[in-house]
Amino acid sequence: METFGLLLDGVFTSLQWFNLALLIFGCLIGLFVGAMPGLGSVNGVAILIPITFIVPPTAAIIFLAAVYYGAMYGGAISSVMLGIPGASTAVATVFDGRPLAVKGEAMTALTAAAVGSFVGGTVSVILFTLFAPPLAEVALRFNAPETFALMVMAFATFVGLGGDDIPKTIFSILIGLALSTIGLDLITGKPRLIFFNIPGFLHGINFLVLAIGIYGIGEMLWTLEETKGKVQMSKLSVNMKEVGRAFGALKKTLMAMNIGSFLGFFVGILPAAGATPASLMSYGITKQLSKNSKEFGTGVPAGVVAPECANNSASTGSMLPMLTLGIPGSPTTAILLGGMILWGLTPGPLLFTQEPEFVWGLIGSLYIANFFTLVLNIALIPAFLMVLRIPFAILAPVIFVLCVTGGYAPTQSLHDVWLMLLFGFGGYVLRKLDYPVAPAVLSIVLGPLAENALRQSLILSDGSMGIFFDFASKPIAAIIMYIAIVLLIMPAFGPLYRKIFKKTLSKA
Amino acid sequence: MTIIKKLALVVVSLSLVAVSSVSSAKPFSPKKPVELIIPAGQGGGADEIARLVQGVIEKNDYASKPVIPINKKGGSGGEAMTYVKKKAGDEHTLMITLNNVLTTPTNQPELGIDFFNDFTPLARLITDTFLVWIATEGKNTAGIDTFDDFISLAKGNGLVMGGTGSMSEDELLLGMMRGQFGFDAKYVPYSGGGAVAKGLVGGESDFTLNNPSEQMGFYQSGDSKALVMMTPERNPAFPEVPSSYELGYPDLEYYMMRAFMAPAGIDAEVEKYYTGLLHTVYHDNEFQTFNIDDGKLMSWLEGYGLKDFLAIEYDKHAVIIENFQ
Amino acid sequence: MSIVNKFTVRRAEITVAVVLALCSIALMTKSAQNRITWSAEENMGAGFLPFYLSLGMLICTVLTIVKFILKKSPQSKDTSAFIDPEAFKFVSVTLISLIVLVFTIGYLGIYFSLIFFLAFYLRYFSEKSISFITIFSLTTPILTFLFFEWLLKIPLPQGISEPLFYPVYDFMYGKITMPIKMIFIVLTIFLPTALVLLINRFIK
Repeated sequence: METFGLLLDGVFTSLQWFNLALLIFGCLIGLFVGAMPGLGSVNGVAILIPITFIVPPTAAIIFLAAVYYGAMYGGAISSVMLGIPGASTAVATVFDGRPLAVKGEAMTALTAAAVGSFVGGTVSVILFTLFAPPLAEVALRFNAPETFALMVMAFATFVGLGGDDIPKTIFSILIGLALSTIGLDLITGKPRLIFFNIPGFLHGINFLVLAIGIYGIGEMLWTLEETKGKVQMSKLSVNMKEVGRAFGALKKTLMAMNIGSFLGFFVGILPAAGATPASLMSYGITKQLSKNSKEFGTGVPAGVVAPECANNSASTGSMLPMLTLGIPGSPTTAILLGGMILWGLTPGPLLFTQEPEFVWGLIGSLYIANFFTLVLNIALIPAFLMVLRIPFAILAPVIFVLCVTGGYAPTQSLHDVWLMLLFGFGGYVLRKLDYPVAPAVLSIVLGPLAENALRQSLILSDGSMGIFFDFASKPIAAIIMYIAIVLLIMPAFGPLYRKIFKKTLSKA
Repeated sequence: MTIIKKLALVVVSLSLVAVSSVSSAKPFSPKKPVELIIPAGQGGGADEIARLVQGVIEKNDYASKPVIPINKKGGSGGEAMTYVKKKAGDEHTLMITLNNVLTTPTNQPELGIDFFNDFTPLARLITDTFLVWIATEGKNTAGIDTFDDFISLAKGNGLVMGGTGSMSEDELLLGMMRGQFGFDAKYVPYSGGGAVAKGLVGGESDFTLNNPSEQMGFYQSGDSKALVMMTPERNPAFPEVPSSYELGYPDLEYYMMRAFMAPAGIDAEVEKYYTGLLHTVYHDNEFQTFNIDDGKLMSWLEGYGLKDFLAIEYDKHAVIIENFQ
Repeated sequence: MSIVNKFTVRRAEITVAVVLALCSIALMTKSAQNRITWSAEENMGAGFLPFYLSLGMLICTVLTIVKFILKKSPQSKDTSAFIDPEAFKFVSVTLISLIVLVFTIGYLGIYFSLIFFLAFYLRYFSEKSISFITIFSLTTPILTFLFFEWLLKIPLPQGISEPLFYPVYDFMYGKITMPIKMIFIVLTIFLPTALVLLINRFIK
């Protein structure tokens, strides 16, 4: 119970007035940065590192934690309001958040996102406090074969996300994977698929470029065609009844909250994985396990809660490999890690015993940040909803400006903006012909992780696939792999089973 | 409309006049924020130094405009180098180097980078060292305490080495050691120094050639240990680790340089300004303490000394690459 | 308009499928520049995965074409216009103006390009007054600048307009106290509005 005392100390530290002011300021910055397409917590945290030279490390980490959490919430805002994922962690939030907003239930979507995030954050802090040391051991044993098995499982959970046209769905998955191989091949050190020797291809295709292209530009073109530039995006009203209804809708999302929080945390603590796969996987699994899985994608609150719960939970979880193993799970934690080293803290197994104030101060402030972002978010919902009242003819160019700056900012290259336009147009055309686009976005996120893990494992096993099914030496990998295979074939057998069953029924 | 247009024209031309009158002959100082290009991703060694330099400059007001680190990790430095090459004559661009600037022009000739004419070397601030690391409880390396024991073990058994990517510094180093000691190892590339260190302690690889800061956490907790440091002398940060010279392998010497470069074609005035700025940073107390504690060597070098050094290193790497293939 | 009418969903389906098939083949040839073999002795070549992924893409597009020929997919029977002729104008004008925007960013810099883009787009699509459009297209780039360059310190492309920003940077990083800077920021944001109001008055 010593850890709880330390955690309480951490919480109280972040409640001192100076720290609290920094925290709220950080949450606001994070919210704003997170809500801008293309910019995520990484940008917010990066600019703040120099500032942290001026304030003491504890205050600095509180500030950074606040920005981190604020950005996690912020990503959901633009996913729901604009249909553009504000950050990679909020991609899955678009799937159901956007349809909800279009239906006029933006209020429900935003409340679901905020509450889901809060629940995920809370559960993860509790899990972190209770099980940090043994989980660090698990993370340490989670190597290349295990990572690949996990990625196969992630793909397996997406099977249900495709459309009805099977060749088109598979095409979408494959093109996402193929695009993700562009750039330098880590394993052989050779550049691949550098079209026309354009240096911009050397850094590969940033997943955000595809996501902003498809969901920003593509979606706008789609809406322009549908509405001919006349209609407002949706009508809505904010009153107490609405608020009550929004909270009422959350009652049915308990399962999504559980899946999101626990799965998110466990995927989050795995080095290399992080919040994006976590949110995608929990969306997929919630959808598969849900009774009304057909309705996912048309706007159900559970489809917003699951990924939002998971990405916040995973964000706390990803602090674990960063603190104990010195491995950044995401660019944001990479910068935080750099910051820690600059403050003279050495990440590693000893950090928990040598610098408990720092570790628990960080976790405590993550929790307080989580709470304040929830309050800020709920309080600001009317302000966010104003976005929807802007006439479309004015909102559209603003969204284009956000897309162009958001496409440029992460890599600082105009090349990516051109690609984004291309993907936007391509995505628009393909979507009109019933090619599902979500699978492409998912596979470009997971592709590089899966490829590297696969090839690392194959080097270790001298090319034998058996490494993934070997219960004796790699039990974790084998178990995950078999679960993945079951998940993969389940949907194929479902209709078949029903068909046979129906036939026998009709015969009888 | 026309009135607005005219007005806009007037505003633009007025401000142009204002600018041209301001920029009269004064000693150079940056007119806008300086881009510091990092040819690697967030969280690596180069990134860490770049952000430290940014912080030190900002905290102490060493420059009139801030330094903004920008990661261009593509093509193991290829993207960053092409970018800086294109910026020839630009007075607000700097690049921090890893050793990949010495290997990428040779490895990827299609980029068309001329290492000696496309950049203006400013100064070398730090050299980072390399050590041979094994896990304390490694399943294949248990009971190994000295570098010589390690070599005899490695000769018989195909050990697994974790590294930071094919054709990166540590794979070249492995190539060097292969020629020198006659052992071979299976090379598994990871996505960064941290992942390499974790792969070692997690039991996936048998040894690594990490920089000190990457293994520091596991070293302090006793999960990993270093067998040799590839330097002439022992390092105060690792007092019990022998140097390669002590063990009688003076050929086993290798460093990672952290130097700064500007694009080609900048004025001598500008070059002098940035070198001076870096010199101030170099002598900053915070900068010194941080790097020494981290086991890095403070090794200022500028001007002709630096140019000679780079030429020697470049040729050395070309030879290593040639032997490697 | 007649071309738009004639370009049916059916035609679009086959055109896109053929284009995608060609892209897949191009990807396969490009991947083959790296080693595409994989055996127990030799680790997977860099081109292995992209090659077989694009082969898979090719197979999928061929299946789509087969389905088209057999008239098995809903798109292969759909003879309505691919893009609603009425909406075609909106989509094409948007696309072209976006392409022009990105093109001009490279030369004119983002801030000035945005002014032209916004002014054109709003004038074309909305029924707002010229005063509103002017204020809006001038304020947005100012806010963009403040947000990216000041708050986040992310430089955006400035092209040939770069020297115009030197005095701005001097002001931003100069030895002026924060409150005065804040006052200036607020004034800058309202500058376009004041300007337009002044001009309106002047004309009247």
